[in-house]
Amino acid sequence: MLQIDKDLCIGCGICESQCAFGGIQVADGTARVGDSCTLCGACVDACEVGALSITGTEKSMQMNLADWSGVWVYCEFRRGELAQVSLELLGIGRKLADVRRVPLSAVLMGHETGDAAEKLIGHGADTVYRVEDSALALFTDDMYGAVMTALILKHRPEIVLAGATAIGRSFIPGVATRLHTGLTADCTKLEIRSDDGALLQTRPAFGGNIMATIECPSTRPQMATVRPRVMKALEFDTLRTGRIVDVAPPADQLRSRIEVIESVASEGAKVNIQESDILVSGGRGLDSERGFVLIEELAKALNADVSASRAAVDAGWISYPHQVGQTGKTVAPKLYIACGISGAIQHVAGMQSADTIVAINRDRNAPIFDVADFGIVGDLYEVIPKLIAKIEEHRGS
Amino acid sequence: MNIIVCIKQVPDAKDVRLDPKTNTLSREGVQSIMNPYDQHAVEEAVRIRESLGGEVTVLTMGPPQAEAVLRQAISCGADHGVLVSDRAFAGADTWATSYTLARAIATLGSFELVLCGKQAIDGDTAQVGPGLAMRLDMPFVTCIQKVREASETGMVVERMMDDGYDVIKVTYPVLLTVVKDLNEPRVPSLKGTMKAKKAVIKTLTAADIKAESALIGLSGSPTKVVKVFPPEPRGERCMLTGTVDEQVEQLVVKLRPYLP
Repeated sequence: MLQIDKDLCIGCGICESQCAFGGIQVADGTARVGDSCTLCGACVDACEVGALSITGTEKSMQMNLADWSGVWVYCEFRRGELAQVSLELLGIGRKLADVRRVPLSAVLMGHETGDAAEKLIGHGADTVYRVEDSALALFTDDMYGAVMTALILKHRPEIVLAGATAIGRSFIPGVATRLHTGLTADCTKLEIRSDDGALLQTRPAFGGNIMATIECPSTRPQMATVRPRVMKALEFDTLRTGRIVDVAPPADQLRSRIEVIESVASEGAKVNIQESDILVSGGRGLDSERGFVLIEELAKALNADVSASRAAVDAGWISYPHQVGQTGKTVAPKLYIACGISGAIQHVAGMQSADTIVAINRDRNAPIFDVADFGIVGDLYEVIPKLIAKIEEHRGS
Repeated sequence: MNIIVCIKQVPDAKDVRLDPKTNTLSREGVQSIMNPYDQHAVEEAVRIRESLGGEVTVLTMGPPQAEAVLRQAISCGADHGVLVSDRAFAGADTWATSYTLARAIATLGSFELVLCGKQAIDGDTAQVGPGLAMRLDMPFVTCIQKVREASETGMVVERMMDDGYDVIKVTYPVLLTVVKDLNEPRVPSLKGTMKAKKAVIKTLTAADIKAESALIGLSGSPTKVVKVFPPEPRGERCMLTGTVDEQVEQLVVKLRPYLP
């Protein structure tokens, strides 16, 4: 329950303005809780006089936390390749494991994984649990979930991380549900609290408009999916050594109730824009499909990939896997160049974590300029060719 | 075909703004809407019922005012609306939410097909759908972008992946979560609007669904929010000035670290 100390409350209204759900209102000089309170705690942190508190936070589930030790990373392997995010997770996993003074293990599932296990060791894993089976060649939630759940129950790691990819975001929630433990989606920061060794998981919510730090106080493992391109992979070190443990799951784990008939790598989706360093993105301001020819030329000059706003996708100029924003993908490249994108909040939600944002737009008042580090007001069809020429010139020099 | 669609009332993200001066969330004038992904789930459920017969029930967990999204779904073709509402549910994370929804569904009967939006736009977790499937012991497929076939016994669907799509055959019962490419939600008809107005919304409390109090709301949630804070503000924006050539020149200088 959200408790309001009426003696302390001065009716200033800060809590009301902080609540995204309309769950608290000031009336007759004091704050009142409404039905839509989600107990998120935003008002508690914001209250300057300490009048608000949340009670009843004691968790009803309790596990013996000391039974769980070690950091695990689920390493995604698909179409013969490791996902880049898996190596990034080994990077942060290594740090967390070193702080906790525990080993770092990787879980590799798939078919014909080749030297992927060795690669994971070179990137930081102490142990690789390798589950090789032809049944795992194609992803299904139930098989991957059953194998992962069984491995976790057997070895009891304190932390389990996975990439916030289509696959990670799909089967990991089922695993957490089965294990009766918490899961935090789409984390952008992970750290160990020094007092008690708890994993603090920070993630954006509300399309990136607020950040929340979350912990999993009384159950294990502490589980998180982590956005691609946020954590740094360690350089591959040929001298690193580790152990590969081959796991043969029992037949019942390798039975699926769904049947994957076909797995199609679509054109354009060969590039996963969530893994791109630089994105050149086009929007409604391109006026027509031919605008993307120009966008592609600029992308080529920058060794970048192409993305788009919802307006461009809805217009049919480019396919949905390229869409950035709330109903598309969330990206965090080093450089994001928004061309002819007005910057609706739904779009900004998907790209505001980019290191550097450039906006090119003919409308001086477009909201995209509010989030841009550098803005050019002008006609795309004039600016972009000149920009390409300048970049080529720079490359030549 | 008995279909149930789980929907959520969320604040409209386009109304949520950061106050640039204080860098805090401004809630002024924020409207509540049906989660956009859920609209596609409702639409698909109605289409399947139109071709195969049966009934579409929409279910939401939330405060009493969340009834509005149930009526909206009915105006778009759903048959029944059920509100799961109790102060005891407040503060539920995705684990406790999926438990609560599963209890509600078990109370309502048996369903061949459970549909959910991929995720809600306020939390963006995408965890409730898969969690619910686990609790219902149903196979599930997330991020459905296309239904190729829906018959009395099962479906063939396309699931969106990061690198393309998978074509998947499922038999009932099954839980699917959907993305917006799936369909174009219809606009409510006049008849639908009238029906929605008159519809009797069933309300279920924690006691009605026989929820264990240790597994719901804040205390039943394994995760705990430690802190909520505004994101770090971006640096000062810099509008380039001069002729187009001059601006391009300045930009290339700024972008030097990124150039190949």
